[in-house]
Amino acid sequence: MIETFLLLLIVLPLISGVLSLILPRGWRGVCAVAASLANFLFAVYLFKKESIFVLPWAGFGIDFSLRLNHFSGFIILAASFFGLLISLYSLNFLKGKDSQRQFYTYLLISISFVNGAVLANNLVVLLFFWEALLLTQYGMIAIGGRQAFKTATKALIISGAADLCMMAGVILTGYLAKTLIISDISLSLNPLGSLAFILLAAGAISKAGSIPFHTWIPDAAEAAPLPFMAFFPAAIEKLLGIYFLARITLDIFKLNTNSMLSSLLMIIGALTILIAVMMALIQKDYKKLLSYHAISQVGYMILGIGTCLPAGIIGGIFHMINHALYKCGLFLTGGSVEKQTGTTDLAKLGGLSSSMPVTFICFLITAASISGVWPFNGFFSKELIYDAALERGKVFYLAAILGSFFTAASFLKLGHTAFLGKAGQKYKEAPVLMLIPMVILALTCVIFGVFNRLPINNFIQPILGAGAHGHDFSGMPDNFMLVIVTIIVLLAAFLHHFIAVRINGGAIKAAEHIHRAPVLSIIYLWAEKKYFDPYEMGIKLIDKIAKIFWRIDRGIDWVYGSLVTNLTFALSRTIHKIQAGYYIIYVIWSLAGAFLVILFVLR
Amino acid sequence: MAALFILVPFILLLILNLPFKFLKAPVAFWLSAALFLTQPLLVLIHPWFAWSNYPAALSRFLIFKLWLDPLALIMLFTIGIVVFVSLLVAKSTITTERRSFNFINLLLVSFIGMNATVLAADIFSLYVFVEITAVAVFVLMAIEKNRFAIEGTFKYLVLSMFASIFILTSIAFFILAAGEISFAGIHNAFLVNSNIILLNFAVALFLCGLFIKCGVVPFHGWVPDAYSEAQSAVSVLLAGIATKITGVYVLMRLFSSVFVLKDSFHNLIMLIGIISIVFAALAAFRQNNIKRMLSYSSISQVGYIVLAIGCATPLAILGAVLHFFNHAIFKSLLFVNAASLEKKFGSTDMSIITGLGNQLPVTSGTWLVGLLSTAGIPPLSGFWSKLIIIIALFNAQRFTYGWIALLASVLTLAYFLFMERNVFFIKTEAAPGDKGGVPFSLKFCEILLAAITIGVGLGFPFILNSQIFQLKGFLH
Repeated sequence: MIETFLLLLIVLPLISGVLSLILPRGWRGVCAVAASLANFLFAVYLFKKESIFVLPWAGFGIDFSLRLNHFSGFIILAASFFGLLISLYSLNFLKGKDSQRQFYTYLLISISFVNGAVLANNLVVLLFFWEALLLTQYGMIAIGGRQAFKTATKALIISGAADLCMMAGVILTGYLAKTLIISDISLSLNPLGSLAFILLAAGAISKAGSIPFHTWIPDAAEAAPLPFMAFFPAAIEKLLGIYFLARITLDIFKLNTNSMLSSLLMIIGALTILIAVMMALIQKDYKKLLSYHAISQVGYMILGIGTCLPAGIIGGIFHMINHALYKCGLFLTGGSVEKQTGTTDLAKLGGLSSSMPVTFICFLITAASISGVWPFNGFFSKELIYDAALERGKVFYLAAILGSFFTAASFLKLGHTAFLGKAGQKYKEAPVLMLIPMVILALTCVIFGVFNRLPINNFIQPILGAGAHGHDFSGMPDNFMLVIVTIIVLLAAFLHHFIAVRINGGAIKAAEHIHRAPVLSIIYLWAEKKYFDPYEMGIKLIDKIAKIFWRIDRGIDWVYGSLVTNLTFALSRTIHKIQAGYYIIYVIWSLAGAFLVILFVLR
Repeated sequence: MAALFILVPFILLLILNLPFKFLKAPVAFWLSAALFLTQPLLVLIHPWFAWSNYPAALSRFLIFKLWLDPLALIMLFTIGIVVFVSLLVAKSTITTERRSFNFINLLLVSFIGMNATVLAADIFSLYVFVEITAVAVFVLMAIEKNRFAIEGTFKYLVLSMFASIFILTSIAFFILAAGEISFAGIHNAFLVNSNIILLNFAVALFLCGLFIKCGVVPFHGWVPDAYSEAQSAVSVLLAGIATKITGVYVLMRLFSSVFVLKDSFHNLIMLIGIISIVFAALAAFRQNNIKRMLSYSSISQVGYIVLAIGCATPLAILGAVLHFFNHAIFKSLLFVNAASLEKKFGSTDMSIITGLGNQLPVTSGTWLVGLLSTAGIPPLSGFWSKLIIIIALFNAQRFTYGWIALLASVLTLAYFLFMERNVFFIKTEAAPGDKGGVPFSLKFCEILLAAITIGVGLGFPFILNSQIFQLKGFLH
């Protein structure tokens, strides 16, 4: 019974995805919503159940094996929840657009692949579904319009490169462990093992969108259709990436606090937080600003898991689900604004709070969550991460708390510019079908905050099992100093915002003094010229290398094309001259030949 | 029974050339299309052992022995599909009746040559059939009477001649050293270990010849010209199957199950393979013509197969066989796409047809399937064969090769996506030289090949286990 449902999780969305490509216009949305609803119900049914399902597949140790346990059940549940909300939202958002049909197909097939990747108990099966997501990612970005193809290509190459790291990691892990079955693998962190860990982790954090694999996300925010942003980079990519990171640190490799790799993860996390939030601060587009935060928040999760302390891991995973909730919600508010006003350029927006009150309230709740305001969900997960980071080193704590300051500052700027201030034009509130997913997400943010015992005890703590040492991580943090510091930082961000608005003249310019600061202005300039983008730099480098190889190739071509043919012609000319029709020459040739033959025989 | 694969096309060829009025291009087309399509279907229906016991009466027609195993069956399957596609492409690109008839005749000759190459059980008939195939292909290429096509043919001809000299000399040495030309006899000669120096010398000569036939770097000079200057239908035949059978298949057959080699030979083959992969991938970046770019990509993909053959573990050979099949399918697909573009716009130069691809939904869709499969993205067929090759390299402790092969995949992805963007997605103001729509036969080929690519990708594990090809059985 359970096995059937496990297979249905993969097969049903796949079939309905193909179906929605064929169905007539009116039925596509219905098909998509029904399929994602069924998917959600299956996930609810399977949650808290355990099962292993094996089907003989390719041989050579590559079997189609799925494993349902608490962790994978939880991720499936979360992913299907977002899938359902996004398909509901897209009903109205993409109404009448040509891209709707393709979007639903890609959405449903993505759901199927995500389910497959999460449930996979064989590294090759995992890789298969994981990499197959590249296809739907490419398709979903590419339907955004003409400019989107460039971004889709960029995303495909960056993610493709990271997935190749992962492929190398999978092969290396399989080689070291002599098996590909994930639940049987337990490796030590010797040099080769560390390399395998780094490769797998590179795949995981790139899926989550961390530095240095992040540069396509802000581009996609401008180009891709909004539901893609709310679904892929905001929700399921984080779920998948952090899920796999947690699996490799907890199960496959058993990282501990003494490991260099733990510090490496924490450094990547801290850098991601700071660099991305600094970029977010100066953005002047609703969606682009959100996309930088989608990168920055990953830093917290990687930092949390990288600490290798129970509080950090639980905080990291809790932050993952919280982030998916509020960032998905934030993108959806952005979508409502885009749908109703036709723009997401902050310079053109203002005073929307009166005309779009529900959207505004949803924005307020989700923005407060991401900034870590008590009693919303972001506060509790961030406090857990702060706690663990402080134990591992003051630097990491400082980076995290600084990140919070800038996060709060940039959301004050965003909210102030878009929703407050003087209203330019009168707009209508978004349609009900678009409001429902936003309201559900905002409500869940509140519930996960106020009743944080519910998600932590039911979803997250069992993942750690005995590793939690019976400690309960829900409720207010143990260390009350942390709370006080957080409150001070948030107040400072508030104060900073109002002083900055007064000085710089206007809410949209609230971060101008940072943008124009002596050293930072140069760095920002370089960042805008994409000097820090490994993709753009790589393209230039490859172009140069290719030029050199092309020259060599021409050389070889010359050898064959000119040298060999000319030599042949020259030879044939010479022979032609010799064959001039004089018998005496032929006779001499024959005699010389005969002489050689005799010489050879007598030798 | 296996003799039928050679005899039936031969009889058809004879019948087509009887002096009857009604034996014109249309009849020839339908008869040969049916024949080409029957071959893969027969292979699918009957497992390999059904073919190996054949009545003695049939074998009397042939002076050479046949050898049929799962590897040969896969090759026969691939040959049938690609030649069929080439025929369909020719139908819509070759217009005059006379030329079309000639084309079909030559196609049949090369078909017989390739089938016989696959089935040959001794090294000399192998050589003869390789040459028959090559000669048929030379003439096919030169049918197109323009300067560049002749130049491409000439380059191929000259280098192929060198290859023939090498191979023929090497066969002489084999006869000298082993006293036999059958695969089994030569294999025994290696095991007995007498005359080993002479044998190694013969292998080295044979290898030189095969490298030219495969078109791997640095023996690849003829490939881009030959593939890109020939007319579309010949490009499909040449890039999809002809050079692969005459070069790569022979390498695969001889170096995996006939010759017993020193390690230095394996290293040499792997080195040549990896150089081809990287070099051709980088050279592909700077090509402006789609067909030239595809030619370089072909060199690079052959590099993967050669690399796997050099690695020589069972898993690696399996990867090589699968990549051979996948590459034949998706490279034919891409060349058919190029043919569609050429048919529609009269050119495959990227600067001329930039941004026009999206006028052709079927072509651009299947194109994407083909190139993502080349780059090894799941769930398409190319993913599996590349993955198996790389896993095999790692398991054989060839880490450096494994890493380079992995990294080169990114290059493949990159150059293809640049081409994709140039051809299909950039908006252009220039008015296209529209030469009418894409004929149905081309669209049919595109859809057929794309369906095989996707189907093999999704159902791959089951194919590996299927009774028909018995790939696992072949390994032991």
